[in-house]
Amino acid sequence: MREFLKSARFKVILAFLAFLVGMMIYAVTKGGYSVSGASLINTVTKPFRTVTNGIADKLETETDKLKNADEYYRENQELRAQISELNKQLADYEELAAEVEELRKFVVIKEEHPDFQYTEPAKVIGYTANDPFKSFTIDKGEENGIVPYLPVATAEGLVGIVVEVSKNTSTVRTILSPDLSIAAVCRDTNADHGIIEGTVLTAERNCTKLIHLSTDNQLKPGYVMATSGNSGLFPRDYPIGTVKSIGFETNGLSACAEIEPCVDIGRLSSVVVITDFTGKKEAEDADQDLP
Amino acid sequence: MRIKTSREKRISYIRSGIRWTLYYLLILLGFCIMTAGSWLKPVILVPIALAIAVDNNILGSVFTGGFCGVLIDIACGRLFGFNAVILAVLCVCFSLVYQLWLRSRMLNFIWTAALASYIQCRLDYEFYYRIWGYADVENIFVHTTLRVWAYTVISAVFVWLVIRLINRFFMQKDHVTVREAIRAGA
Repeated sequence: MREFLKSARFKVILAFLAFLVGMMIYAVTKGGYSVSGASLINTVTKPFRTVTNGIADKLETETDKLKNADEYYRENQELRAQISELNKQLADYEELAAEVEELRKFVVIKEEHPDFQYTEPAKVIGYTANDPFKSFTIDKGEENGIVPYLPVATAEGLVGIVVEVSKNTSTVRTILSPDLSIAAVCRDTNADHGIIEGTVLTAERNCTKLIHLSTDNQLKPGYVMATSGNSGLFPRDYPIGTVKSIGFETNGLSACAEIEPCVDIGRLSSVVVITDFTGKKEAEDADQDLP
Repeated sequence: MRIKTSREKRISYIRSGIRWTLYYLLILLGFCIMTAGSWLKPVILVPIALAIAVDNNILGSVFTGGFCGVLIDIACGRLFGFNAVILAVLCVCFSLVYQLWLRSRMLNFIWTAALASYIQCRLDYEFYYRIWGYADVENIFVHTTLRVWAYTVISAVFVWLVIRLINRFFMQKDHVTVREAIRAGA
């Protein structure tokens, strides 16, 4: 033992230990940064460690798989059931969100026109086949308080009028149709009056036409036309569409304008039927007034 | 005509039942096609009713024609019965014409269906647009009526093939051709 303590080997070991302790103290003073030697080693050995680590991981995973196959299978089944349940909840949520969004749009109508009474949103269940004027059927009818000649609208603007009602469905004639005439006034000038009535040509472009317009009108493209409410069939000051272009009738006695509806009539998904509003005319009188 | 055994009769009834069920399923499918979307579509129920009338008895053809017509009225928003009357009459004509003069061949069916479909489209145009004197009403004829008619004629080809397929498997043959008789004898 004494020999060993006196030997050069022991001194070398001591020196080495001292070096290590010194290095340790040095490392402590570096404050979180690795010592350059360690850094070098790390850099050099990194690829090898990555490979070996990968192999070890794989081996561990495989072993783990074999060892815990039953547990994983059970866990997998549970997770699948959970995913299925969550998917169902997500679908319900999305449906609900769409419904809320839809209802929110219609709440705007109520805020802007507190005198309105309207049905809950009605889904468009189908467009009339091959109809150039885009009339359509909705999923609400007599049972929901709908009667013929009630105005149909969305939050954006007027769509048309109910022309046929059955127990659970109603047919809507749109503002593109030449069979529907609506007294309109310009919201921007508040002076230019006319009649909005569809034509064959404008319907092809998903537009309608403003006729019987004074030749000295002040309309400009982009101005909004709204219902004047004179007939009692439609509520007052409800947007119909914007002026697209202005021209003269062939007889030269009056002007006319092409109106682009506020609503894309060909792509409706839901609408509301306005059942009551200030200045509404009774159904029998309205029947006589229809074009 | 050969006398049928009771078993043959029973089989004949079953085949006939399946055949008519398939016809009506096809009619239902045609109605669904007609009511889907807002684009222009063929009035596919016209060729379906006519194709059924070609190889079936007059009574069945008339009822089917009337039923298809009612469905067209619903899909196209027409006066209830307007197309039913037109199609019932056309089906009677088809049934008679194919019993007396024409052979049930695809070409014959295409041109007769084109003619019948034109009559239906034209009457629809006359009564629902032209009679009301809308300005530029000819545009509807050119851009809607004629296009719908063309689509209907094209769809008639497919309808004919489907009806023939159904008839091939489920229609009892009352007559055999000379070639079939020779083959059966051999």
